[in-house]
Amino acid sequence: MTEARRLSLILAVALAALAAIFAGPYVLDTYSVNVLTRSLLYAAVALTVDLLWGFLGILTFGQSVFFACGAYAAGLVFTHMDFSTSNAFLALGLGVGGALLVAAIVGWLAFWHGASALYASVITLVLPIVATQLLYSGGTFTGSSSGLSGFMSFDLSMEAWFWLSGSFLVGVTTLAYIFVKSDAGRLLVAVRENEQRCKYLGLDTSRLKILVYLACAAIAAVAGYIYAGYAMVVAPELAGFVFGTELVIWTALGGRGTLLGPVFGALIVDYESAQLAGDYPFVWQLIIGTLFVLVIVAFPRGLLPVVFDVPRKLLGLLRPRTAAPATSVTLSTLDPASTQGVEPGDGPALAVADVVKRFGSLTVLEGIDFEARAGELVSLVGPNGAGKTTLMRCIADGAERSAGTIKVNGYDIGRKPPEACVALGVGRKFQMANVFETLTVAQCLQIARVRHARPSLWRRASDLPLPEAAMHVLATTGLDRQLATPAHLLSHGMKQALELSMVLALEPRVLLLDEPTAGLTKTERMQIGAILIDLAKKQGLCVLLVEHDLDFVREISSRVIVLHQGRIVLDGSVEEVVASELVKQVYAGSGHAGIDHETAPTPSQEMPA
Amino acid sequence: MSALSVENLSSGYAGAVVLREVSLALAPGEILAVLGKNGMGKSTLLKAVMGFLPKMTGTVAISGSEATRLSPHRVARLGVGYVAQEKALFQDMSVEENLRLAIRRPDFEAALAEVEASFPFLLQRLKQRAGTLSGGEQKMLLMARSLATGAKLLLVDEITEGLQPSVIDRLAGVIRSARERHGTTMLLVEQHLPFALAVADRWAVLDRGEFAETGATSEPDSRARVLKHLSV
Repeated sequence: MTEARRLSLILAVALAALAAIFAGPYVLDTYSVNVLTRSLLYAAVALTVDLLWGFLGILTFGQSVFFACGAYAAGLVFTHMDFSTSNAFLALGLGVGGALLVAAIVGWLAFWHGASALYASVITLVLPIVATQLLYSGGTFTGSSSGLSGFMSFDLSMEAWFWLSGSFLVGVTTLAYIFVKSDAGRLLVAVRENEQRCKYLGLDTSRLKILVYLACAAIAAVAGYIYAGYAMVVAPELAGFVFGTELVIWTALGGRGTLLGPVFGALIVDYESAQLAGDYPFVWQLIIGTLFVLVIVAFPRGLLPVVFDVPRKLLGLLRPRTAAPATSVTLSTLDPASTQGVEPGDGPALAVADVVKRFGSLTVLEGIDFEARAGELVSLVGPNGAGKTTLMRCIADGAERSAGTIKVNGYDIGRKPPEACVALGVGRKFQMANVFETLTVAQCLQIARVRHARPSLWRRASDLPLPEAAMHVLATTGLDRQLATPAHLLSHGMKQALELSMVLALEPRVLLLDEPTAGLTKTERMQIGAILIDLAKKQGLCVLLVEHDLDFVREISSRVIVLHQGRIVLDGSVEEVVASELVKQVYAGSGHAGIDHETAPTPSQEMPA
Repeated sequence: MSALSVENLSSGYAGAVVLREVSLALAPGEILAVLGKNGMGKSTLLKAVMGFLPKMTGTVAISGSEATRLSPHRVARLGVGYVAQEKALFQDMSVEENLRLAIRRPDFEAALAEVEASFPFLLQRLKQRAGTLSGGEQKMLLMARSLATGAKLLLVDEITEGLQPSVIDRLAGVIRSARERHGTTMLLVEQHLPFALAVADRWAVLDRGEFAETGATSEPDSRARVLKHLSV
């Protein structure tokens, strides 16, 4: 399906939904229209819960507060200042502005560096409790526990309110849908899936989370504003923890991460609750509660995925599914002229001076001092536990080391977080393959390019230009034929290769590779080795490589640094290191178990054992 | 009776068959090294035997007990240890807690002696959080833990990855001595060819989900025959 067709299809569905909203008041009774107007606004807030929880992975109980911000702004302005057109705009501005301010503070507290996902949930849980207390203690200004009522509002008919609420819901749902399916929207899933990898791809995940949180707060505030105008009453319960939790339940019930599920979940439950409350005033909550439990037990993914599964299964019976979906992304090699790697600064590509790393009383690295030039391929070898990975971490994240300075391309990394180190030209491949498991190979690579090519908020790119080196790795390992395969289905070695291509897609100047070829066969290793040599020699990259295969080290590197118990014990040519008694003693071993670590066939190996 | 008997086993992921009707039998105390290029189904074989992946066709029996439809924890109770390639340790627990959780034998002290025999440095690190061990040290803990559980059959996925050469030498000795003392049967998935040929009794090359060739490691041309499959 082409991009234009996909977008027109979404718009066509949105128009159909608008038509249904328009027809609503003509087919429904007055009571239903009245109740549904409220449900439509609640659904818009549930949508923001799904964006945050279902896509970004932040479980939030506090969206009610932003709804109340919009509602109370209208209530307060219209009560204390009278209703007029200019005041209506003022109230809207105050509502949205207030929500943004609160969201900015909460977002900063919850998502700034080092805050865990649980921490964010706890803060959003506290938020409605604080907000409700503030409203209670506001005296006659906020109307305390009884809230504000009896203020003037827009002179609109019941039908008009229904249309307004409905159009607002269809509008935000359509925009949200287009966004989450776009290249930029995929970042939300990537952050939920593997925030660490995102940071090391140079993405400021905290900023992204705060931006989405702000947008969600604004949507909820507008919904609250419309609600106050229509209901002409605001009460502290709107900001409450109960409403905030109900939003989460509707989202779970409808189908988390589906957008439409939470919308329908909110509509159906809120509407049915109103009906049941009228028919069975004493037991309705019990009935609703039982239904919740049953649905969650029977359909853990929520109702919407089940609804979609039924026709899919019926169709599947008639028409067997085609094996693999065709990939919609074509790779191409980036024109070398348009590469955007960091300009090399003065001095060595990497300068590490007197770096120390302590974990409590344990000193892991001490007095690490070395420089590496552009075009140099330096191998870091040493026994397990010598501090090799720790050193890599110190170079890629300014907050890691305990003392000392590290300069990349002449710039001091200071205490900069990983994403800022990436901006200085650092690219790090982890020891354990670190990719986005639920995304496809092509999508993983797209995320890696986000830093260079700003993703569209509404479109999906169909071509993906990658630097030559990344293309090389993909072609060598055959990953370019598996672009539509989800990463979790790749073998371990293939994941390693995917991560390597992702890091190369960053166009780094200093490349940190922690056992880049672990899990690959000898042949693949040598091919990757050739690519690394090429990167260093032709493109002037500085490569720092942790490797255990001394054969491989000899093949590709110009220089070897030996780490032992957190110190550099040797820094020299491959020959010096291989000949060193110390290295034989602490590292390579004498081969007493009869294992020849030279993996090329040698005559001695051909002898009968 | 075979320690592990696999017949016509097919497995894989939704919509993708990775392993195609593979059969193998391991005598008690035998060590088989499964070799092959990436994505040929080596890890899938282990995961399917263990019950982590569905078996599309075929049967698995462990020491004569039918294990085709068992879930992983039931397979483990038959005396099967699985040394996974990644995420196999409890990162936030100490080395000792990791050992205690896995080793359900009443004589933990005897198990510790076993650990000391294989990788003595672990005894000095009992209180250290497993997640703060280096990558290679975690591998050693993993192997020591599995050997000390007293499992009769071990499924080992690329244990040499990230280990320094001298430790690989040591590991080879550790594995062979464990086999001699306890008669442990092992199925090793390996990329490190010299290690695999030094440790195993037999080798088998997986190619696109099927066994392309097998042989005894004592045959002089083993290495060349395996390399032929790996390099194309």
